[in-house]
Order: sequence, then structure tokens, then C-alpha cells
Amino acid sequence: MKKKALAIVWLTVMALAAFMLVGCGEPAASSGSASSGGGTDSVAATGPSYETVKVGFVHISDPSDMGYTYNHDLGTQQMQANLGLSADQIISKYNVPEGAECDTALRELVDAGCNIIFATSFGFEDYVKEIAAEYPEVQFCHATGYQAASSGLPNFHNYFASIYEGRYLAGIAAGLKTESNQLGYVAAFPFAEVISGYTAFYLGAKSVNPEVTMDIMYTNSWNDPTVESQVAKALIDRGCDVISQHSDSTAPATTAEENGVWQVGYNNDMISAAPNASLISARIDWSVYLTETVSALVEGTEIPVDWCKGIADNVVYLSPLNTAIAASDTQAAIDDAAAAIKNGSLKVFAGPLLGSGVDFDNNPVSIDIPAGEYYKEQEEASAPSWNYIISGCTVIE
Amino acid sequence: MLDTATTLVMAAVLAGTPLLLGALGEILTERSGNLNLGVEGMMFMGAITGLIGSWGYEQAMAAAGIEAIGAVSALISLLVSFIAGGFGALIYSFLTITLRANQNVTGLVLTIFGTGFANFFGEYVGLAAGGYVAVSSVTKEAFLPLHIPVLSDIPVLGQLLFQYNWIVYFAIGVAVVMSLFLFKTRFGLNLRSVGEDPAAADAAGINVSRYRYMATVIGGGICGIGGMYMSMVTTSGVWVHGCVTGYGWLAVALVIFATWSPLRGILVAGIFGGLMIVRMYISIPGLPVQIYEMLPYMATILVLISTSVRQSKEHAMPASTGLNYFREDRE
Repeated sequence: MKKKALAIVWLTVMALAAFMLVGCGEPAASSGSASSGGGTDSVAATGPSYETVKVGFVHISDPSDMGYTYNHDLGTQQMQANLGLSADQIISKYNVPEGAECDTALRELVDAGCNIIFATSFGFEDYVKEIAAEYPEVQFCHATGYQAASSGLPNFHNYFASIYEGRYLAGIAAGLKTESNQLGYVAAFPFAEVISGYTAFYLGAKSVNPEVTMDIMYTNSWNDPTVESQVAKALIDRGCDVISQHSDSTAPATTAEENGVWQVGYNNDMISAAPNASLISARIDWSVYLTETVSALVEGTEIPVDWCKGIADNVVYLSPLNTAIAASDTQAAIDDAAAAIKNGSLKVFAGPLLGSGVDFDNNPVSIDIPAGEYYKEQEEASAPSWNYIISGCTVIE
Repeated sequence: MLDTATTLVMAAVLAGTPLLLGALGEILTERSGNLNLGVEGMMFMGAITGLIGSWGYEQAMAAAGIEAIGAVSALISLLVSFIAGGFGALIYSFLTITLRANQNVTGLVLTIFGTGFANFFGEYVGLAAGGYVAVSSVTKEAFLPLHIPVLSDIPVLGQLLFQYNWIVYFAIGVAVVMSLFLFKTRFGLNLRSVGEDPAAADAAGINVSRYRYMATVIGGGICGIGGMYMSMVTTSGVWVHGCVTGYGWLAVALVIFATWSPLRGILVAGIFGGLMIVRMYISIPGLPVQIYEMLPYMATILVLISTSVRQSKEHAMPASTGLNYFREDRE
């Protein structure tokens, strides 16, 4: 009996192994023959061509969030159009939690023959790192992460955008609009990515309205519309009259609209979700990175370990201002600041600036930037590192 | 201070309403002797079908060139979610009452089925609609807080009592009607006797299967409406993957908290709702958020302990809940 069971298990394992070998072998063989036609150099002879390259994506949500994943998916579509890829060359895995499911999703994409895989949520990074070490022939790109450079893996890359620049500009719209001089911020987690974003947003608002203060409340989730909506409501109940967010859905926008206050969005033009509340949104054009990276893979050029671009390269941009409800001089103020950021005369985290917070191990840290200097946010690594709460910002917990 | 208290209560009521509906559906179900653990599944089914119902109505009206009416859209959403929840419960009833499958296992299966059903159709319809499903402002307005002339304008009291969306009042109405039905009518008495001792009820000439079917299906429909609240009010008529997750289980816990009484359900749903959002309103320095998030679950454990210590007959689970009835069974 036991022997029989063992035999069955053995056979199953063998069958699976054979199946996987076939699965892995096939795309490599076909890509070899296809690229030999155009064969330019040795890399192209072994690598995929535009006709055969397969691109995988792992997303924490799906485009129905109308926020982060929706925006990233738009980048995918644009990249597909730019490079002329067919629909079956792109495999997107949606609604993958930041747990063991991510490991499974990544392996499925590898098995499906993907040459390059983009994982788009912060919590995927540990899994990406592990799988990247296991499959050196596949390129892995992780958004918002910070471990690629230190991992030493040549096929593991991080990418992000200097979204703080966009947040700063969006903050100007909030600072000019607020009547109670109290802004509210629906924040996902107390991580540098989020803290950097809301500090920039606050600094933008303060640049046009020195009286303004901001309350920040965490949802402890990247994407939980129920809690996002409840937190937004709680902030409004505290007296905040412009709500901004670092969370994935439109729930803060619709909650602001229901309660007759204003909102500044992230990732997506949220005016259609909340026409009477949403002023403007800071957005990222992911297609720039996706197009560059997939072409680099096909052309055989190097994919940078850390990639980060901002306003100056149009990777970070603002959705159209909702002129029907925004303060009258908003557009001009934003344009001036954007021009100053582009020519380098305006630094978002410019001194004098005092901040304090805690690091990953909960140790207190502080920073004191003297006048005339500035904090080099996202200049050395693609991941945001500003981790300090400045005066005027209050974290409610 | 008063402001904080008022807004806390209002937020608690809004957070508690889907829990109340889920719990009411489950109270009716358990009163008949069926322990349907598929509340989450039925809520999910109600959530997606309610949204698709409203959205489909809007699309049909737009195609016909007629202006959509918010009240009609809301009513369709209500009916469709009720039918979907009831359909989920019907599957459960057929399996447990007619085929006498294990109630716990069937309930868990229903949860898994309903979750997959909702997320599948949510994504499917989203793709068909060109990205995502969202209802228009006409329907959204039908789910906004009501403004009753005079009453809503009373300071504090008006805010506390008369400024919610209509489902809140609907849920309280369901609780009151269910309480009257269970404790003041003969059908209610019959139903309770089926839940306590189906053999005795059978001997008294009560059709046990029919009562169980009816109570479970209607209870499932009410759970479905609770799910509809999540997709139409909490996420404002936008389909969000997994938007009900966790609420169905809280509703099951709430049934115990409410000790199988619909009226007590209103109160404890408010308390549960309050425990879920209290961290956003009252901050105790140094208390980690994670502790706050445990509060509803800790409350459930405490209630379980206290009810089992008291051993009160009146507040106990109906005696046959979880057990299938088989007339020829020998004890």
C-alpha cells in the first residue's frame, strides 16, 4: 500500500518535472530562431526579440481600484503600444496579496515563459529577491523597493518615480483651497515612501499658505477602500477640508465629495469619481520606464539597478486641474513651481528643515538641514528615504 | 468633545450597518436550526449582484435614452442582492436540509464559492465595461445620507438619528420586524420550536423542512443586502476586489454577541462598528493600532466566555442549531 502511494507520488513529481522542462524549453527555442533573422549581436541571438519577448506583471489589486494598479496598467498598455507587442506577450496577475501568493504568481509567470517580470507593490520585494536568485535568466523589476542594489543580483532591479515632486505641486492646490487651514492625509503605512510623499505635499501647501497644518492618519493597508473611506471621514470630522491620500483607491475622493470637502488624488485623475471634490492628482507615467526596460532587454543593453525620474522627464505629472472648484491662481502657482523644480532652483526638501521620526528598527532618528542645503531625496537610490515628521504635520494614532 | 462623540457614533452606525444586516440574516437562519457559516459568501454575492443590478439598469436606461431614476436603481439593487443572497442560501439549504450534508462544511464552501463568484463577476463585468464598474451619480445620490426636513436639522439629535442613508433605517426596520415575527407571531413560535427541537415540532405537525428552507433563504437574502451595503455605500458604487472580506465572519460573531436576538443585534452592531473605527476618533498615546484592530475580536471572545459561564437558557444558541433533522433518526 505504502509502496504504491510512493510510486504514485514519484510518478507525479516526474511528470511535473518533465512538464516544466518542456514549458521552459519551448520559449527559449522559439525565441532563438525568431531572433536569428534580425540577429545583430550575441545578446540578441540568445535573448528575446520584440515578437517573442514575454512580459509579466504582479499587481496587488486590479484596475478597478481606479488608482495605483489602474495607473500602472495604463503604463503597461502604453508600453505595449510603443513596442508593438501583442496581447498574449503580456501576462498580468491581479489581486496578488503580499504573501506566499506572490511567490506562486512569480513562479507561474516564469513558467509561462516571461523574460521580464515587473512586481509593482512594496511588499513583493522579498519574494522577488528570492525568485530572482533562483532564475538568473529572467529579469525582475520591483517598483518602490530598495533592496536591488544591496542584493548584488544582476537580474534584480528597483524602479520608482520622484513622486514627491508631484505631491509638492499638488500640495499647492490644497494650500490655496483650504479654508480651515487644516489638511488631512489618508496614509497607507508609516514607511519612508509614504512619509516622503506627505511631507512633500505639506511643504507644497505651506509654500503658498504658511498657516496650514496637516493631520495624518494611517490605514495600515495599501488598498482597503473601507478603511480609506472611514479614515477620510474621521479626518473630515476633525475639521480637515482638503483630503489627500497615499492609498490605492478612490474611496477618499468619494468620501470627501459626500461630505462637501475637497480632495487631492494620487495615481489617477479622480475628477470623474468625485467631480465636486477632486482638485488635482499627482500621477506617474509608468510607460516611460516599462518601454525603456523592455527595449533594453531586447536590445541587450543594461537595465539600471535603480531607476528614478521625475517632473523634468515627464515621468511624474499632474492631472488637469479641476478649474471649476480650484482657487483662481492655482494653475499659475503650480506652473511656476514646476518650472523651478525643472531648472533645479527649487528643491522640495530644502533647508532650513527639522524633522524627527523612527527608522526600520524603531530607533528614534532626526535630521537638521541647514539653510542653503537640501535633502537628496531619491537621488542616490530609487526608493524614497525621507523618514522624518516635520513641524506642522501631526500623525494621529 | 461633544462633536467627537457625535461623529464617533455616526461613524459607528455606518460601519455597523452591514454587520447588522449580516447578523440579522444569520439570526433568522440559526433560529431555524441551520448554522450557515456562508454569511461572507452570501454577502459577497449580494455585493456584486446589487452593483451589477444598478449598473445594468443605468446602462439599459442610457441605451433606451431614458433618464435613470436613483430610487428605482436603489430598489433594483436591493431586490437583486436579496435574490442573490437567497440563491446562495438555497444551495446551502438543498445540501443540508434535503441531502443532509454537514452544515459547517457546506457553510464554508458557500463562503469560498460566494467570494469567488463576486470577484470573478466583478472583474468580468469590469473588463466588459472597459476597465471598471462604477454607478453614475444618479445612483450614488440615492445612497447618500438622507436629509429629512426639520428632523435632520435638530442640533446633535438630528445628526445622531436622522442623517443616515436609507439602508441604515431599512436594517433597523428589518430587526424590529424580525423581532416581532419571532416573538409575537405563531409562525415565529413555530420557527423557534423547529430550531430548538425539530422532532417535537414535527410531532406537533410543523413542517420542519419548509420552515428551515424559508428561514434560511430569507436570512441569506438579508445577508445579501448587507453585502450590497458594502459595494453601494462603503465603496460608493465602485466594484472593489474583496470589498466584503472579513465582514461576514464578524457578522457571524455578532450573532453570538447579540445572543440570537434581532433587537439586541442593533445595539451590538453599533458597538462592533464603533470598535472598528474608534482608533480614528479617540487616540490613547502609546497604544499601537494593532491593539485597536483586535478590539472587535476580543469583545467576541469575552462575550463567548460570559455567555458560557452564565448558562442562561434564554440567551443560548437554539438547541438544534448545527444539527440536521432526519425524521427516522434514532436517538
